[in-house]
Amino acid sequence: MNRSIIFAFALLSSLFFIACEKEENASGPNSTLTSNLVKDLVADTIVGLANGQPVGVGKYTFYSLENNAIVPSSDSNSTKWDIAFRGTSILTNAGTSGPGAGGAFVYTGAYDELKTVSPDSVFRKDSAPSSFAIPSGSNKGWYVYDPVNNLITPIPGRVLVIKTAKGNYAKIEIINYYKGGTTPAPSSSDDIKLKTQRFYTFRFAHQANGTASFQ
Amino acid sequence: MGNLAIPVLLINSKTLYQSGSLRLNDILSEQTGLMITDNFGKGIQMQGLSSEYTLVLLDGEPLIGRTGGVLDLSRITIRNIRKVEIIKGPSSSLYGSEAMGGVINIITDGAGQHKTDASIRFGRFGSIDGAINYARKYKKTDIQLASNYNRSEGYSLKPFAVQKTVEPFWKAAHQLNINHLISERWKAGAGLRFNNTHIDNSISVQNLGSTITSKGFEKNQEYNITPFIQYQVDKKIKSVLRGYITGFHARQQLDVKDAYGSYNDKFNQLFARVEQQTDIHPTEQSTLTLGAGLIKEQVSSNRYDSLSTLRNNQIAYLFAQHEYAVNEQLTIIGGVRFDANKAYASVLSPKFSFQYKLNRCLNFNASYGRGFKAPDFRQLYLNFTNLAAGAYSVFGTEVATAEINRMSAAMMLEQTTDMFSKLSVLKPETSGGLNLGVQYIHPQKIQFNLNLFRNDLSNMIVTDVIAFKKNGGQIYSYFNLKRALTQGAEINLSKQFINVLNIQAGYQYLYTADKDVVDAIKDGKVFQRNQSNNLVSRMGLNEYGGLPYRSRHSGNIKFYYQHVKGFFATSRLMYRGRWGTMDLDGNGLINRADEFAKGHLQLNCSAGIQIKQQIKLMAGVDNVLNYKDLINLPGNPGRVGYIDLQFNF
Repeated sequence: MNRSIIFAFALLSSLFFIACEKEENASGPNSTLTSNLVKDLVADTIVGLANGQPVGVGKYTFYSLENNAIVPSSDSNSTKWDIAFRGTSILTNAGTSGPGAGGAFVYTGAYDELKTVSPDSVFRKDSAPSSFAIPSGSNKGWYVYDPVNNLITPIPGRVLVIKTAKGNYAKIEIINYYKGGTTPAPSSSDDIKLKTQRFYTFRFAHQANGTASFQ
Repeated sequence: MGNLAIPVLLINSKTLYQSGSLRLNDILSEQTGLMITDNFGKGIQMQGLSSEYTLVLLDGEPLIGRTGGVLDLSRITIRNIRKVEIIKGPSSSLYGSEAMGGVINIITDGAGQHKTDASIRFGRFGSIDGAINYARKYKKTDIQLASNYNRSEGYSLKPFAVQKTVEPFWKAAHQLNINHLISERWKAGAGLRFNNTHIDNSISVQNLGSTITSKGFEKNQEYNITPFIQYQVDKKIKSVLRGYITGFHARQQLDVKDAYGSYNDKFNQLFARVEQQTDIHPTEQSTLTLGAGLIKEQVSSNRYDSLSTLRNNQIAYLFAQHEYAVNEQLTIIGGVRFDANKAYASVLSPKFSFQYKLNRCLNFNASYGRGFKAPDFRQLYLNFTNLAAGAYSVFGTEVATAEINRMSAAMMLEQTTDMFSKLSVLKPETSGGLNLGVQYIHPQKIQFNLNLFRNDLSNMIVTDVIAFKKNGGQIYSYFNLKRALTQGAEINLSKQFINVLNIQAGYQYLYTADKDVVDAIKDGKVFQRNQSNNLVSRMGLNEYGGLPYRSRHSGNIKFYYQHVKGFFATSRLMYRGRWGTMDLDGNGLINRADEFAKGHLQLNCSAGIQIKQQIKLMAGVDNVLNYKDLINLPGNPGRVGYIDLQFNF
């Protein structure tokens, strides 16, 4: 019982203290390019078991890359958000997910080397329930799932190239899926692995001027 | 086996005894280039090829009953073993499937002995091993009887854990062999063996703070029946007809202390074979071996369908081998085997080898052979859904399409992947292996040998996702996709000092790689994440750690001291260099320092004395340095002492 109280407290406190840090601007104060690091963004953390499976409450956390801030879920049917997280599922604001002009694709390569979005890039749109712009599933999109140790790890060298709801370009690198930005040791208990997961640490660059350049 | 031009390692009964080995894995773990793996029992890794690619023979007949491809070597007692023969490199040209990495042949006490002995051993963790061997030779008949019982209370590397690291177990083996000389030309015989293993299970799973414990057992029963009849046509021709029937029955039962109910897993395997082999010596210089056989395999398991559904495979095969001594120096051997299978594609496995004796001390050998491993029943027929871990399912290729269609019709599927359209009939995994060796034997009892090897594996069977379920679970099936290579060098050195001290040293260098990964790294498509600062960088070839569970470096140094009055002492130090265990940075590869298990030393010592003719007393300590690694070496309990008493009647 004590454990669940501590757990609930941890969950609540993490909801209130999500840190959104601003990194250095890439090229001078007048640039329209912003770079940010988001820590411990809660993505429907696990609240219990249903049929033996760990489950959250089932709600997405909506996020605006334009404003670098969480958007209340009451605005989910608006163009105020660009990207949404629930467990390992990621939505973008277009298609079946929202009214925006968004879209995304997963780019293989180094984040820093992605300096411009190639003009022949195809931005996919969400088409629930079978297909998403950012595919879910182990080794299909941004992460791998290790069934032996029950751990989710972002694949290094995967960049989510995003078109925001307004149609601006952004790139995201997911750094970690666990609280505090540290994956639990493979030998740690399932308890710890379940309680600390679904906390995103990611960095992103957002280009506000509508061009495809991240320089 | 008698195949001169191929590296064969022999371990004799004296070494087996003096090393204090009880189970087959004990003695193999002390040999250069052989690694014992600890997953689904004690498996063997040879020339960097894992357990599923090594054939294990008992008196020339293959043992069955693998779990996840691994044949658990700790099932096999060596209390009644005369010698162990190890052939490295592909040997499918004689032995067929599974002989890709090599062959281990365990030879039990041979005919013609006259002895009765009993031995008893007490060791740490309440372990007891008792054995009785009885052998008699009459005028035309010889008979051998062997019994072994082995038990342990198990141990826990984690204090206060509900579940022991190794659970209490007992193992019992009984073997009877009778050979009879019918006439000068005819000889017949039969062998019978029963092998039982029983392991207590108490498993505890933590799930969101609540602990689910379940109790039960795991039980394996194995039997082998080996009749034969031999006809010596004349001095030049000998023919043997061998029959072989073996069965393996595994059962695991767990009673879960809550609503999940009980878990009952059953697996039955039957392997029956008739083989005719004729050896012909047309001239002094050549030997021709011709053979043919029929195999019937049958498996039933509630992991596949129901126990009443029998899955069958039939194999018909032919083999021929010709050994020819061109002159005093050069011997050439050519062999080929053809396996026609019912359940999968047929395979042709050739092998060529030659030996060149430069002089009395120095000889060279070279061989190239093809090996194969048939898809196993699991890869063809498995129908498994894990409700506990993510509700994933695995379907064998022969049942996958029907299962997907059924689930699709029942609206249980989210979508199928493009891999689903690539499902096809599984082909055997194949390899090509090259061995180049040089051996130097000095008259002053120095021996040196070097062997270079390379194995190219293709059509390796891997799992991939064929569909997603509505509840998010993934469905896997099997594909012939992977290509890999293992290559390296093995060096062995031994020197005998004034008949009392023998010193041996060995080293293996091993490089392994997934060829598609190497290509991807060369294309710059593979990345890694730094452990301390989380920064992503492009991975270089030198950072790739190869296939998991392979040590780049391993070696040993062994001392055997034998006093004329029957006193002996041994000290064997084995080194196993670091080996990759799991991916932690998400690229699916072994590359970061924290993805390796630490290298370590294992020191085993023993000493013994013979009292009169009847009594042999031995004491020993395994793992003197008390090295432990809970995560990567659960089968290593730390330092273990034992005393062993043998009485010869």
